[in-house]
Amino acid sequence: MGLFTELKDSISRATDRLFSEQEPKRIGIYGPPNAGKTTLANRIARDWTGDAIGAESHVPHETRRARRKENVEIERDGKTVTIDIVDTPGVTTKVDYEEFTDEMDEEDAIRRSREATEGVAEAMHWLREDVDGVIYVLDSAEDPITQVNTMLIGIIESRDLPVLIFANKIDLEESSVKRIEDAFPQHKTVPLSAKEGDNMDEVYDSIAEYFG
Amino acid sequence: MPHQCTNCGRTFADGSKEMLSGCPDCGGNKFQFAPTAAAVADSSAEAEGSGSLDADGTAGESTAPESDSVATRAAETVRDLVSGDSSDQSAADVPAEPPLEESAGATQSDAPWPSSEDAPETDSTTSDGEFEEWPETARRPEDRSASSDEAAADAPRETGPTDRTDSEWPPQSSASSGPTTTIADDENSAQANARSEVIPTDDLPSGSGTATRDTSDHGTEAGTDRGTAAGSEHGHEADSAVETPAGADGSSGDLDADQSPDHGRVVSEPSGQRPSLEELRAELNEQFESIKIVSPGQYELNLMELYNRDEYIISLQEDGRYVIDVPDSWRAGDDEDE
Repeated sequence: MGLFTELKDSISRATDRLFSEQEPKRIGIYGPPNAGKTTLANRIARDWTGDAIGAESHVPHETRRARRKENVEIERDGKTVTIDIVDTPGVTTKVDYEEFTDEMDEEDAIRRSREATEGVAEAMHWLREDVDGVIYVLDSAEDPITQVNTMLIGIIESRDLPVLIFANKIDLEESSVKRIEDAFPQHKTVPLSAKEGDNMDEVYDSIAEYFG
Repeated sequence: MPHQCTNCGRTFADGSKEMLSGCPDCGGNKFQFAPTAAAVADSSAEAEGSGSLDADGTAGESTAPESDSVATRAAETVRDLVSGDSSDQSAADVPAEPPLEESAGATQSDAPWPSSEDAPETDSTTSDGEFEEWPETARRPEDRSASSDEAAADAPRETGPTDRTDSEWPPQSSASSGPTTTIADDENSAQANARSEVIPTDDLPSGSGTATRDTSDHGTEAGTDRGTAAGSEHGHEADSAVETPAGADGSSGDLDADQSPDHGRVVSEPSGQRPSLEELRAELNEQFESIKIVSPGQYELNLMELYNRDEYIISLQEDGRYVIDVPDSWRAGDDEDE
């Protein structure tokens, strides 16, 4: 009996989520390490809730557990779009503590590495289970055609999730938004600098359009 | 069903990777390549014994059918290694379409020379360049070549391995292959030298450039099997191998097998390749791991596995243990929602 009740509850909850416009969509912020995911999440959260989501760092894998900011209300054209933002650890196929040994001692680097690996596992799990839409953040100063990017975008596409590609760090000289547009022409690419706050209006317009 | 487990008879599709880790049914690691499903079964045994390759000269002509492609391959290889290999040409002559009888032995031998496409041209070129006589023969093959090419195309890649093994190790034992040997001597010596030192790995690259890679995997397996079965007499029989491609394909299996058990053993070479087989297995195994702990603090992640798994790792321990979250979808939903 209990099982059936649980089942029924779960199903009704799922259908509620599907058909209720009021239920905030859970938007996962994905991307490789150091693309600026947390910086973006923090900017969005600060702009609309006044709080930050997590610590930012130039050292990769600062975010090692997915963090969620719920009920972020974004106002566009008089309408309000409510989303839950999930800031995820950078996804990669290799984690090596030696990347961090310049910044910390070996023991901490190894721990960071282990946690980062757990974080990737968690991020991939969330992608499968708990995300209604994806903001894919790329460092526009880096080559976007990588195994990780191709694979993740492919997974996202296979799930038919709405996805926006954010070409971050346009404040950098080496930035090339076109390179990203060319790499993933099937998706809308929005240039921005989360750090400098450049082009955030278009960012929010796009979020409202895609995830509202 | 180009591949068949010689132990339990299970068949594998062309390009199947299942067999790379041994037969999933019986664990056997000997496989034969069967271009035509039917004919193969019997021959399989022979195929392994295929040492017969050496039949070369005689076999070559009889085998002719597939030999064309083989020949072409051989021609190319030869070209690179030495100037003229009779084997190639001889093979070319043989062009008649392959009798299935030989199929087992022949097919495997053929395999090494998978690229039928190249063959026609190469044959002609080689023949023109060095041997005038061959042009004529070459022409015959050309006609036949179409058919042979097709046959070759189908079977060759996977079968290749066996052939290679054979072919690779033929250096000294050219005796069987009368015609080929003479011409081939140059190659044989060259190959012998190259191979004598480090047979396994080196051989593959030099032996049959194109085919090698595809076949190599299979070849290794085959090789290993044989290697274990028969000691390592590689060198002697190796010579025949070179030529074998052509000859081996055809009759060689029948005739030579008896004459030179060694040939079959030549296969031992594969043993040299074992490491690569193990690497392959390791690689395959890795593909089923979602997280590989290279060393503490160094990890390799299989994103697709992480994504596909119901459970996921939530905590890695220093000692290599890890904690996983066992999915309980209903409860999970509740937890997260509330």
